[in-house]
Amino acid sequence: MSLCLLEDIKKTYFLGEQEVEVLRGVDLEIPDGEFAAIMGPSGSGKTTLMNIIGCLDVPTSGRYVLAGKDVTQLSDDELSTYRNEHIGFVFQSFFLLPYATVLENVLLPTLYVDRSKWGDTQKRAMEILSMVGLKERAKFKPGQLSGGQQQRVALARALVNDPELVLADEPTGQLDSNTAAEIMALLSAMNARGKTVVLITHDQAIAAHASRIINIKDGLIV
Amino acid sequence: MSRSLNVLSQSLQAVKAFKLRTSFCLISVALGIASITIIVAATEGAYKKAFDIVALFGPDSVLVIGGSEEARAIGEREKTLTLADVEAVEESFPHAYLVLPMTAAANINVSYRQNKHQTFVVGSTADYSRGWTWPVVQGSDLTEEDVRGGRNVALLGVQVVRNLFGDGEPIGKYIIVKGIPVQVVGVLTERGTTPTGANMDDRVVMPITTVMRKLLNERKYVSVLRVRFTDQARLAHHQEELRLFLRQRHNLPDGEPDDFRVISPKEIILFLVALTGSLVLFLGLVGFISLLVAGFVLANLFLLSVKERTKEIGIRRAVGATRGDIRLQFLGEAVVITTLGGLAGFIIGILGSKVLTFVAEFPIHFSWKAFAAGLVLSWLVGIGFGLKPAATASNLNPIEAIRG
Repeated sequence: MSLCLLEDIKKTYFLGEQEVEVLRGVDLEIPDGEFAAIMGPSGSGKTTLMNIIGCLDVPTSGRYVLAGKDVTQLSDDELSTYRNEHIGFVFQSFFLLPYATVLENVLLPTLYVDRSKWGDTQKRAMEILSMVGLKERAKFKPGQLSGGQQQRVALARALVNDPELVLADEPTGQLDSNTAAEIMALLSAMNARGKTVVLITHDQAIAAHASRIINIKDGLIV
Repeated sequence: MSRSLNVLSQSLQAVKAFKLRTSFCLISVALGIASITIIVAATEGAYKKAFDIVALFGPDSVLVIGGSEEARAIGEREKTLTLADVEAVEESFPHAYLVLPMTAAANINVSYRQNKHQTFVVGSTADYSRGWTWPVVQGSDLTEEDVRGGRNVALLGVQVVRNLFGDGEPIGKYIIVKGIPVQVVGVLTERGTTPTGANMDDRVVMPITTVMRKLLNERKYVSVLRVRFTDQARLAHHQEELRLFLRQRHNLPDGEPDDFRVISPKEIILFLVALTGSLVLFLGLVGFISLLVAGFVLANLFLLSVKERTKEIGIRRAVGATRGDIRLQFLGEAVVITTLGGLAGFIIGILGSKVLTFVAEFPIHFSWKAFAAGLVLSWLVGIGFGLKPAATASNLNPIEAIRG
């Protein structure tokens, strides 16, 4: 079964009078449980594609079915809820709240839920934190952690609501190669536990961790 | 519900985290609320004081003062109320259970042995104490016989007692009033100073007959007439009837102004409240302006904060916060800060009014009303001026927020 099914996805931006077609008809299927890497040079449309896959943006035309639902028809609020339930994000520069503790950062996605599926969200967050090896740092602020540790907090945050899809946008872009390897190992482990992982990168070595490499160029999959 | 609470807990955390923003907004709101608190308390204090005074004056009574308003304005004391007027009022107004004519003489020399004092002498009918609900602490009230016989007896205010007798016993002693020996029969309770600054306790009360004949050499006119009515609810009606009755007796044609003035408790309240009114108006203006300023400070700091926290908003949106969640969080931050400001303002208001009462003997009365007014206003400022930044935050596009 496919988790993500994109059919003839087009995305056009308007820069004043000028029309820029960033995605020109993308067809893409990502099966449940796959570890895929989307590669492409800058300006190829890979960020736009990631935003659409992540339900942060909607295509100008085309159909995108995520976890059995056509998300192109959803309202802004419904998209928020859908992101909350089905997608975990990992960003290049971690994007943790500087004033919140590690634990509070991990708990962030659990706040925007009408009724929690975890009886005790704190306990759930602590379990995930120990999975990424940061249980002892739960009360720390992100500023007190190394880059690799911060990214592991972000990974824990991505997993706390148990989404089907983890979207990682250049997750190792700000890390040295040793730390990068650690993060990639964690992503692989998550994939081994059944998460579908979509990695966006321009680094061949990083993309090599994935089981499939999808190349995008000039708004089309090649 | 729990989701909203989750979001509001984020507001609290941000209020704690962004301390500089919080303290600036809090201080500016607090100053505004402080002056509003003082205004409400001062207004309440003024009314309370006014009602206290009316209770002394008698809520069921009116006072008729001889002389037109114009004459009094230029300092003249016209005499227009006659003893005949008093009798006529007594006969024609069945609801008037007390009709007390009074006359007064200012700057009268009184002495006891070598102690001299200059004071205000009031000429009254019997039952002065009852008519003015002003208890006699020592001795007894003036009697009908005292008045009918024009006897040389007097009730003394405590100020006069102090000046003439010191700690000595005044009852039964003879004092000299404008050369006439007068026996002290009673002492009135202490009443203090009126809001206009007159010392109520600096007076000598004697039978009206004695004062008119022996001090003023007057046979016909009295200066003031006090009338108490049994049905307090219809006081305004009686007041008007009394006015028309006296106009008729004084043969005033239509268009001619009254040659007397009728004062009711309502006028006393208005007068006393007007005394504090100017300060209330000034503080009101200050409070209103400072609240406006506080609002703009808040709105600007919050807009800056939204800009600074673009990434935070993007992250929250990415992990599932709706526009509504973001709006609620920022609005919550604003309201939490203004509520804290309101509470701080209330405390500053209490301290400030302590100073006011100390410096200006200003009547201040604190109640839940001042507190509620401050709290409601601080919420209004928080919501009113927090809406725009909150809307700005909620309308950020998550993609741009994350990229920025």
